[in-house]
Amino acid sequence: MAGHRLIDAAVTDLARHLPADAVDELADGLTETYLQHLSTGLDPDAAARAAIAEFGEPHVVIAAFVRQSPGRRAAQALVASGPAVGGCWAVAMVTGHAWNWPVPAPVRLALGLGFLAVVSALALAATARHSYRRTRITGAAGLGLMTLDAVVVVGAALLSLTVTWPLAIATAASLTRLILTARVVPRLLTG
Amino acid sequence: MKAEAQALKGHLDVLLLAALEPGPRHGYAVKEALREGSGGRFDLPTGTVYPALHRLEAAGLISGTWSHTDGRRRRTYELTEAGQRKLAGDRVNWHEFAAAVTTLLDRQPWPATG
Repeated sequence: MAGHRLIDAAVTDLARHLPADAVDELADGLTETYLQHLSTGLDPDAAARAAIAEFGEPHVVIAAFVRQSPGRRAAQALVASGPAVGGCWAVAMVTGHAWNWPVPAPVRLALGLGFLAVVSALALAATARHSYRRTRITGAAGLGLMTLDAVVVVGAALLSLTVTWPLAIATAASLTRLILTARVVPRLLTG
Repeated sequence: MKAEAQALKGHLDVLLLAALEPGPRHGYAVKEALREGSGGRFDLPTGTVYPALHRLEAAGLISGTWSHTDGRRRRTYELTEAGQRKLAGDRVNWHEFAAAVTTLLDRQPWPATG
């Protein structure tokens, strides 16, 4: 810590909301800013206030991190692609008379609830403005989405009596999303 | 005159890359390079530079390494090869764009139509 209560309080505030690595980096920058103002001859209190003003209040810095967090950006991309992939499957299932597929009611219910949970979680992460924690939901939601895509693709392949163009397009859309999601999810879960 | 942060929107990435072109810098030094290099015009809130650096790192345009300075952990960034290519491309685009705008603005008044 920098040794001034205002700087320490700002770092503590940042630490409540942001990952430890980001906080260490911000603490270094804030301390550097504080020392810079001290070197101009300001007394410690004035230097600390000037440093925080120059650095940005903690809520401004946190909001900037949330806005540019990988979790929020990935969630926005997945939410944006959802209607296109969902539309492909809607056409494939209508043309393939999916209501005749022998899928037990509990499985249909589980898929429906899983879908709602994933969409809700992604919407929460995509619209986060001040909570970095909310953006971290994307990792788990991405895993859920990959599972749903895999289940639907495999299920449709096993249950569909004929391969139709809409089914092939929907399958390609899901597989593309699955591959792209798999590339970012590990970083989101460990970041 | 300080530029509004909004005015930098869309240009911040290339400015950060340019600030790292001379060599590795930590976040505060990047912010200071922007301020000094622009004659004080681009004086961003320091704390908001860090998430932009993180985004550039995630995109593979810069890479960061940790070190210890005066008992503090410090992250220093440098351009990757992809970052150097991106900066070179953006620089060419900017010069063409700026030249076109300058040509238009420096013209004699256009004749009225109709």
